[in-house]
Amino acid sequence: MSIFEYNGSALVAMVGKNCFAIASDRRLGVQLQTIATDFQRIHKIHDRLFLGLSGLGTDTQTLYQRLVFRHKLYQLREERDMKPETFASLVSAILYEKRFGPYFCQPVIAGLSDEDKPFICTMDSIGAKELAKDFVVAGTAGESLYGACEAMFKPDMEPEELFETISQALLSSVDRDCLSGWGGHVYVV
Amino acid sequence: MECVFGLVGNGFAIVVADTSAVHSILVHKSNEDKIMVLDSHKLVAASGESGDRVQFTEYIQKNVALYQFRNGIPLTTAAAANFTRGELATALRKNPYFVNILMAGYDKETGPSLYYIDYIATLHKLEKGAFGYGAYFSLAMMDRHYHSGMSVEEAIELVDKCILEIRSRLVVAPPNFVIKIVDKDGAREYAWRESVKDTPAPTA
Amino acid sequence: MSLADPEVVGFCFRMMKLDFSGLESKAPHFDASNELVGGDGALSAAPSSFQLPITADFDGFQKNAIQMVKPAKGTTTLAFIFKEGVMVAADSRASMGGYISSQSVKKIIEINPYMLGTMAGGAADCQFWHRNLGIKCRLHELANKRRISVTGASKLLANILYSYRGMGLSVGTMIAGWDETGPGLYYVDSEGGRLKGQRFSVGSGSPYAYGVLDSGYRYDMTIEEAAELARRSIYHATFRDAASGGVASVYYVGPNGWKKLSGDDVGELHYHYYPAISSTTEQEMVEAPAA
Repeated sequence: MSIFEYNGSALVAMVGKNCFAIASDRRLGVQLQTIATDFQRIHKIHDRLFLGLSGLGTDTQTLYQRLVFRHKLYQLREERDMKPETFASLVSAILYEKRFGPYFCQPVIAGLSDEDKPFICTMDSIGAKELAKDFVVAGTAGESLYGACEAMFKPDMEPEELFETISQALLSSVDRDCLSGWGGHVYVV
Repeated sequence: MECVFGLVGNGFAIVVADTSAVHSILVHKSNEDKIMVLDSHKLVAASGESGDRVQFTEYIQKNVALYQFRNGIPLTTAAAANFTRGELATALRKNPYFVNILMAGYDKETGPSLYYIDYIATLHKLEKGAFGYGAYFSLAMMDRHYHSGMSVEEAIELVDKCILEIRSRLVVAPPNFVIKIVDKDGAREYAWRESVKDTPAPTA
Repeated sequence: MSLADPEVVGFCFRMMKLDFSGLESKAPHFDASNELVGGDGALSAAPSSFQLPITADFDGFQKNAIQMVKPAKGTTTLAFIFKEGVMVAADSRASMGGYISSQSVKKIIEINPYMLGTMAGGAADCQFWHRNLGIKCRLHELANKRRISVTGASKLLANILYSYRGMGLSVGTMIAGWDETGPGLYYVDSEGGRLKGQRFSVGSGSPYAYGVLDSGYRYDMTIEEAAELARRSIYHATFRDAASGGVASVYYVGPNGWKKLSGDDVGELHYHYYPAISSTTEQEMVEAPAA
């Protein structure tokens, strides 16, 4: 079993009309053993920016702590919040720092720009950004999430419909994955 | 093989650990206390390689004590758990410690709490947790019989159920267990559950 | 469950037939000197034979083949004898690594109206040999004008599995039923083991199931109590063991044969046992302030 599959995760973000949604499962497992069903993989960076971290639990925690630290420094120095694009570059840089001993996680970044333009992006464990206009997925349920999103996604959804779509996509995908599930978190911004 | 588990009740937290020091097929000692009293209101139950286990828990204990001396205030359980995770995570990419930890504590503001920290430094707050082969048996047992706000008597009864199950179903079941408790009055040993006794050392 | 790699099929092209009496009443027996080479005579027995590879490195091939079809024993099954008969229960998930290939597998196999078999390990191995056992039991019935005992049936299966030992079969099964002596329960596995007992659980989720089963078991339970204990044991196993899930089905075998009592989605059981407590909304959608 790959180290990315040690704890199990499902993570997805979708773009709607002047909004976005990000959702994850809540399981924390050690391979097949379920440890807890209230794990947090999605973190709020500020009111309009969310970060989801799939993959190895320990590295998501370490990475999150480092990113929050860097974001706070930025806030103090610049007296404003980071733009999603800037934050994505920061995540990418921090990941590439560990090119030869990477953090075993695949982040999903979702945010809203000052003009209410949604931004979503994912990257691999060493920081190669992958920008998308519709949806991004990550985690052990990633493959089935692709299928579900591909079938369910429509452009320019309103927040209510977006919430319904992302929830259904998440639920149907974790039903095909042993290592994720047991509840979900959905954030609509 | 190693069995460590714990749970949170109404105003207290309990951790239980086996007391066998094992090397391959040999049991060196069957009264090795694997639960450290970290400070007045914290317990650390650790399983893993014996060298790492002792080194790491003592290192954490001394640093938590140092913090108290320097700042005059004790660390909360949450803070101690996060500190432990930090140290474990830093070590993970250098020379990792092979220790799994259950940290139980009691704080005036937040009451009792239990933290799960595994050897790769995954931290999570739980109501009930377990490590080792005993986890397979004790987790389901605790899921079934646990309810929030258990009294000490109920919790001990559940702990005894788990120990009984481990002893009867686990091939490599350890003979003895130690139970420790932490509540508003502090962290202390509660009881031993022994089926094999070491010959007592002659008192000097 | 285990699925054969396409490569296994590749091996088949270089195979020749070998008489394999395992499908018939006698247990198969291997003798590399004549059976491996002397394939011609065996070809006539085509329907009741398995293909074996022509290779000097027989063991090497076997090892590879075992690896290819190595089954994920991602299952929880259990059975226990109580006052009224035998209770049998299982989950219904089939997984390949982390992927859930099905949530509706029938893991309790109905051998005949008085006997059930449970399935853990290789799906094909279990299905095939249980079906085979069903045939043998029916033949026994016709020949002897009485139903086979659970003891006898389990012994038939154990003997077959023992004769295939080390060849990569993967079966962990319980044979539960009612015969002239009352309720019967045996555990049989592909390592050749056969155990008589009051209470068994098999599969990756079995330690979790045992935890609940052992603490709640009493011999003098009613059928309802026993069914609930079985259901709950399966539920707790599916909760902690990711390789188990789907539907918890419960069967009861009494003096009048088996009966399916229930089949509940474990997701719904979860809310049944632990009703969702509505918590305060952490964050709500609000109109975004004008930029």
